[in-house]
Amino acid sequence: MEVTLLLEATENAFRIMEKARAHALGVLDTAVQFTGEQTRFMEEKRWQVLFAGAQRRKTRFQNFVGTALILFAFWMLLSGHFDPFHLTLGAICCIITAYLFHDLLFANVRVGDMRVVALRFLCYIPWLIQQIVLSNLHVASVVLRRKMPINPQIITFKTKLETDISSITLANSITLTPGTITMDIRDGVYYVHALDQKVADDLNAGEMEDRVAHIFMEADHLYVEDVLDAARIYDALRV
Amino acid sequence: MNDFFLILSVGMCVLVLFCLYRGTFGPGVLNRAAGISAIGTKTLIILLLMGVIYDRIDMFIDISIAYALLNFIGTVVLAKYIETTGEA
Amino acid sequence: MIRDSQDVIVKTLSRLLVPFMVIYALYVIMHGHHSPGGGFQGGVILAAGFVLLVVSHGLEQTRKRLSEKAAGVLSSIGVFIYAGIGALCLILGGNYLDYGKLSKLLPVVPAEARSLGILGVEIGVALAVMAVMFTIFLVIFTVGEFQEDDRSEK
Repeated sequence: MEVTLLLEATENAFRIMEKARAHALGVLDTAVQFTGEQTRFMEEKRWQVLFAGAQRRKTRFQNFVGTALILFAFWMLLSGHFDPFHLTLGAICCIITAYLFHDLLFANVRVGDMRVVALRFLCYIPWLIQQIVLSNLHVASVVLRRKMPINPQIITFKTKLETDISSITLANSITLTPGTITMDIRDGVYYVHALDQKVADDLNAGEMEDRVAHIFMEADHLYVEDVLDAARIYDALRV
Repeated sequence: MNDFFLILSVGMCVLVLFCLYRGTFGPGVLNRAAGISAIGTKTLIILLLMGVIYDRIDMFIDISIAYALLNFIGTVVLAKYIETTGEA
Repeated sequence: MIRDSQDVIVKTLSRLLVPFMVIYALYVIMHGHHSPGGGFQGGVILAAGFVLLVVSHGLEQTRKRLSEKAAGVLSSIGVFIYAGIGALCLILGGNYLDYGKLSKLLPVVPAEARSLGILGVEIGVALAVMAVMFTIFLVIFTVGEFQEDDRSEK
């Protein structure tokens, strides 16, 4: 009798110990799993940081090389001496300057399409010169007349240009044209001083802005969006 | 041809006098700044014409680039000063 | 403190202009014996480039490239290069700044050594002029600000 009681007691004790062991194993397993996830997460983060650092270093290196090449071309244009001594001096100077200013020249540049932009810019210059000559004659005729029929005014208009390089191209084109001066660009609004009504009307027509937008390909993606919308409409109609 | 450039530069020198009037007697700092900036531009053209007259255009282009840079910086710094202190 | 300018035109234009300006100044320094210019003029243009950077991009951006301490060190180094080349000629048995004697050190003929010596002296002068002009500009431009701060505190 006592023996059976003893046996039962030991079995119970064993069972409780088994259960406790399983429980402990489960806890250990979850702990191991959790720490594994934690370490994997940490690992991923470390790789991400490394990758971002490498990316940044690569961009910096590309900027450095691009700046140095452009400055070296400018140096050769200025110098005119092509013996090894002067070329070495130029290379040293370009490397120093590119090291100091590598992040200035290529800030906010959209990669690609540079060739198209340069070509369109070259096509834009003759039109600008023609515009300058025309309004130069107009301003001269206005100023030299005896009554001097000027009507100075400040006109404001909101631009559709997005990048700062295109907006300063437009601002400098306006300033180069006689009779109009860009005073300020604030939050995409141009404040332009115009000499008389005709010049202001020419500016408000907005041909110059369209041409500048065409140079920097800011008008193009609008057309692309239109085409996409039309395609979606056609799909809807076909179904 | 040299006479043509000489007459052109003398005309430029006469035009500088008008800008000098605006720079000296102009009411307010802003008129003076604009006058001096215009004088700088005209001096640039006169320097280039001198280069053409003396047949040393490569030398005078260097001088005129430096002059244009310093003129631009002078105007920008003056504008910054006026903006900072608020004296117009 | 000179703040960052909010003007798009001045900021973008100076961003594009400053590297070319610095390389032009270095060209003026290095070609002092072929064309007009030399150490002093090149140093002034170099300092003007940094001044444009201060005015358009603020003091913080400029400190990353050329701090005040570096400007002080550079001005001393410039004077040291100038006086060092002169004293080197003195040691080699010539007069002060007698560049021809440098041909004993360099493997070139005296005429070539004269050209190289002038180039070294011009680099020294340009460094000193650039650093001193930059320091003077910074002192003038920041002292007024400090006074304004004091006034506002009172």
